[in-house]
This record gives sequence, structure tokens and C-alpha cells, in this order.
Amino acid sequence: MKKIILFIGILLAIFSNSYAQADFSINGYMKTDNRMLTDNNSFTWNENQLELKFEGSYSGNYHLYSEVRLRGFGFPEISQTADLQGKDKIYKWKLEFREAYLDLYQFGLQDLDVRIGRQIITWGTADKLNPTSNICPEDLEDVFNFGKQAGVNSVLATYYWKDFTFSGVYVPTFTPAVLPSGIYASALSAPMEFPEGMTLNNSTDKIILPEQKFTESSQAAFKLGTNLFDYDLSVSYYYGRDDLPLLNKVIITPVDTLGNVDVAAEMIYPKMQVIGADFAGSLLDVGIWGEAALTIPEKIMLSTDLTALGMGIQESIALDNEPYIKYVFGCDYTFTNGIYLNTQYLHGFVHERGNDDLNDYLTFRFEKKFFNDELKIVPIGGAVSVTDWDDYENNYGLVINPELSFLPYDNIEMILGAFILDGKGSNMFSSLKDNDEVYFKAKVSF
Amino acid sequence: MKKMAITITMLLIFGSIYAQIPTAEDILINADAVVNAPQDQEISLKMTLTDKGGNEKVREMRMYQKGDEMRLVRFLSPADQKGVSFLSLPDDVQYLYLPAFHKVRRIASHIKNDNFAGTDFSYDDMSASKYAEEYDATLLEKTDDLYILELIPKQGVEKSYSKLKMWVRQDNFYPVKVEFYDNNSILWKLFESRNIKKHGEYWVASEAEMTDLKKEHSTKMITEKIELNKGLADDIFTKRNLKRVK
Repeated sequence: MKKIILFIGILLAIFSNSYAQADFSINGYMKTDNRMLTDNNSFTWNENQLELKFEGSYSGNYHLYSEVRLRGFGFPEISQTADLQGKDKIYKWKLEFREAYLDLYQFGLQDLDVRIGRQIITWGTADKLNPTSNICPEDLEDVFNFGKQAGVNSVLATYYWKDFTFSGVYVPTFTPAVLPSGIYASALSAPMEFPEGMTLNNSTDKIILPEQKFTESSQAAFKLGTNLFDYDLSVSYYYGRDDLPLLNKVIITPVDTLGNVDVAAEMIYPKMQVIGADFAGSLLDVGIWGEAALTIPEKIMLSTDLTALGMGIQESIALDNEPYIKYVFGCDYTFTNGIYLNTQYLHGFVHERGNDDLNDYLTFRFEKKFFNDELKIVPIGGAVSVTDWDDYENNYGLVINPELSFLPYDNIEMILGAFILDGKGSNMFSSLKDNDEVYFKAKVSF
Repeated sequence: MKKMAITITMLLIFGSIYAQIPTAEDILINADAVVNAPQDQEISLKMTLTDKGGNEKVREMRMYQKGDEMRLVRFLSPADQKGVSFLSLPDDVQYLYLPAFHKVRRIASHIKNDNFAGTDFSYDDMSASKYAEEYDATLLEKTDDLYILELIPKQGVEKSYSKLKMWVRQDNFYPVKVEFYDNNSILWKLFESRNIKKHGEYWVASEAEMTDLKKEHSTKMITEKIELNKGLADDIFTKRNLKRVK
């Protein structure tokens, strides 16, 4: 704790000293986010943030940027008197380095810009759902905040030539995705299935991260973008790893004669290549965009150890090396009465892999602003998914997200909204259907 | 004597031509030319947004313009809009950079008539002024010191305004007032340029105000600093530069 306070102190001292000498600024925001289940009024989300953004430059040749977030999140975890003697159990907080990078403009070449450091690199033209954006790991802690990504230490070089932009990225180390927690923990994982007569007693799992060395953890990506016939177009290539873990080993051990078993699972992060393409432009007055990602995964076998049950070790395919395509198409339009519509069709959500596992999603959002943009109402927004079109009545998921935003003054925003979930069958939204909730957020920027 | 008579006749002819009222199109071309006369401009602006209750909000921005077709606008404040940047290029190409999303987005035509960041200017209004390219002009009236024009969008040009009425100074062709009419020909917005003074060899309005009469809301722009003919590079007006937060 003392080290963190000392670190912030030094940082502020450096910036306040430099402030007078160069073009530096400190901005940020404070935010609170609180959520409650509607059926039993349990609070599910309790978050407070102070985010500080430092940026500046001494000359036009470089620019530095850093985004540090002090975050209190969760609820007191107290089970005994000793827990009351430590503030970290009563009020959990942590410091996050979102981004910290240096921009070097015209670095060596007139048309070359380089960005070095922890950064969030977002590729693709779609709104939040970008199958071609694979460099940074997903941050799925808040499962409803689709498309949020975490920063990675990397080098990004961008070369500009006429109407063409060529980008190359190298990421030396591997960073896994942040998974949903709390009541959302099961949102992205399929339920475990056992043979008849067998029930789960206890489960444990082990995550095997790739070794942090050049040949194992490195990722690289390239993108070429241009504008043709008034459309922004790009093609991209990514070599690296899936940032979500995949089950590759299971050991099932009986604990009694009644069929109860313990399960020990092991998970890895498969290597993959992704070839991507995207476009954005207008068709008549409608804004349109689309992107597609052809993923070529590494073949991963699943080893199920049933030796303790006298059935030996069974091998099956966890992930085939057959390529599969995720894609998204979207459009937006502002009607003459000011209502804004944004809708996207997505094939393959972030956690879905392999041709047989990709589902269809439709996202939609109507919004209208009032009183000089001080009030924004989203009467209808959300997403629908269908996992089996032949029996869609029993295999669908739905989340409706009405929202009201109020900006009474500059820099202040308050949001009241709800997630209303429904569904049948095995899919992301139906697994959360008992978690309808309302939320309130407030944010002040400075 | 004969020579003198010819000279006087010539002078009378040229004097008569000089005194002729220019065509509406010429007035409009001149109005565009005087506003965009500097080769380039870098302007620091303070915007005050006032609602019908008199409540004010302040925005600060920096605007770069080169010629009459390239313009980049970058918000400096308030904090929640800092870094939001807008790029207007020839052929009606416009881009928006929102720092929170780490992305440069092309502005589709349906958004071009939306208000820009809560101001009374649409994205289209924020583009560099080139009325003569987009409107057909008719001279309605000539007062002692002003020309009054009516502007109708040219065939094939899509605008959210059915017509404009423009007041142009006779002495320097600076447009001092523009009325914007909606598709039902009802007066919608009013734009006024004030404090028009010579800045070097160029006429510059140091204050301008757009009023949305339907919303009873106005946006006043005060020029805090202006630099002309700095030699701004074309590189400033690129997507590359758009996402450089400064």
C-alpha cells in the first residue's frame, strides 16, 4: 500500500513539475456503478472508480499517454473477526494500469509513427463486436459490456503511404482474457454433462498459461487499410493465441459408490491465426459496416481420464483445426424525427469456437436525445440469439436493455437502466435469465 | 481633343460596368472567397451554448483550416469531450474520432445534419464554407450596404435546409447573417457574424452565433486566437493526425 501511494506521489510530482515546462494535462473521471437483481433485491455490482489520464509532449515529435484506474469493486468478504481487522476484506480495491504508452511521430521515416508500451489496439469497423480485433485480450468481467478489451505491452508501427495505411504489431507476452465473475461466471461456459447416474461432487481446474518466451507467447499482427469508392477497407492477419481457455484434460475420480465424482480439469490457450477483412461506408443515407474473420485454430485434443472408473483414457477433439468464419454486418440510421437506430447481425460471439459452435446474434438499439442532448432515452435496446434455427422456440436467448441517460451539467452523466433476460436452451442469455437487474451509474469527468 | 473624348467615353463605359450589380452567383462566390481567403487558418475558439432558460455551457476548441475544403476541429474542453475531433475533407468526406472508442469513424450522410457535440451547428455546418458549390443563388434585394440572397440547394445536393437567406456586405462581400429554413420553409436557424475586422489583409469575424429558433438554443463562438497563413501542412488534415490527442 505504501509503495502504491509513494508511486502515485512520485508520478504526480513528476507531472506537476513537468507541467510548467511542457504541454501536459491530467484528466480523468470518477464513476460509480451499482446493480440490483429485481426478483430478490440483491445487489450484484458495487463499483467505484477514479481514473486518471496523464498525457502530454515536450515537442511535436512524441506524445505520452497513461491511464491509471483506482477501483473499488465488490462487497465485504467477512467470515470471521480477523477479517474485520483488514480493510482489504471490508472494502476491496486495486490499482489498474489500463494504458501507458509513448507515441513517436515520424520515427526515422516521415510517414512512420510508432507507439510503444501498454496499449489497447482495436481493429475492425463494427460497433464493439469485432471478430478481427484479436491483439488485446477481452475484458469480460462485465459480461454486458461487449467489446471491452484490456491493454497489452506491445509495439505498434503505422506507415502511411498515399491513401494506404500499413500497421504492424508485435506483442511479446501473452495476457489472458478476464472472465465474468459473480453471478455472471457461468455466462460463457457450457454446463458440464455427465453420463447417467454420475453426479458432480467437486470440481477443480488448472490453467496452463503459455511460457512467456518468444516462441510461445509472442503475437504478431498486420493490417493494410485504404479507401476505395468512398468505402474504408482493410485486410488484416493475426498470429497468436486465443485469449479464452480451452479444456484439454479432464480427470474424473469417483468419491463414493453412489455415482458422485470429482472432476479435475486442465485448460490451455490454443494457438490460432486469423485473417480478417472489414469495410465501412454509406449506402444511400444509411451507414453500413461489416467485418469477417477467418480463424485457423490449432488442433487440440481433449483427454478424459476415466482410469479410476476402470474405463481408461478417452481421447476426443476439443478443437478441430478446421477454419471457421465469424462475421458481423451492421447499419445505423438517424430518422428525420431524430431517432437513431443501430443494429448488427453477428455470427459467432467472442467465446464461440469452431463451425458447429457459432451462433447467430442480432443486436439493436433505438435512441433519441432530448433537451439539447441533456437527456437520452433508449426505449429499446438489446440482443437476441438463436442457437438452433430448426427449433428456435426452445433455443433462443434475449436481453433487453432500456436505458435513460441524463447529463444535467457538462462533465456529469447519470444513467438508469435495466437488463431483462429470457431464453430457452443452452446459450449465454438463457443461462442468465434469472438475473434481471436494474442499474444506476453516475460519472463526473474532470 | 478627340483623344480626350474617347478617354471620357471609355471611362463612362467602364464606370458603368463597375457600378453594375454583380450577379447573385458572383456575390456568393465572393462571399465564400472572403471567408476562405487565407491560405490556412488556426483558430482557438470558445463556444458558449445557451439554452432557453439562460443556462450556459462552455466548450473550447481548436480549428485548423486549409483552403476552402479541409478543416479539422478538436475539442479541448469540457473534460468529457476532450479529444473529440472532426475532420472535413473534399468531396463531402467527414471523419469523427472519439477517444473513448480508440477509433476513427467515417460520418455517414444521415448523421451530417445532426448537431455536432451538443452545439447548434450540424456536422455539415462545421465543414468548411462553400455555399457557391452547393447552392443556387438569387438576388432578392440590394440595400444601402448589403446584398440579400436566397440560396436553394443545387439539384442532387442533399441538405436538411430547404433554403437559406444570406445577407452579404457590399463593401467586402463578408456574409453577416444567414437564415436557415427547414423542409417546410419555416425559419429554423439563424447565423450571425459579428466584429468583422481586418486581420492583416483578410477580413475576419471574431464572433459568430448560431441560434436554433425551434429549440431556443444558441451557440456563440468567440475567436480567442487566430493565426493566418502559418503554412499548415496537408498532414494535419488526415486520419493519421485526427487521432493524435493534443
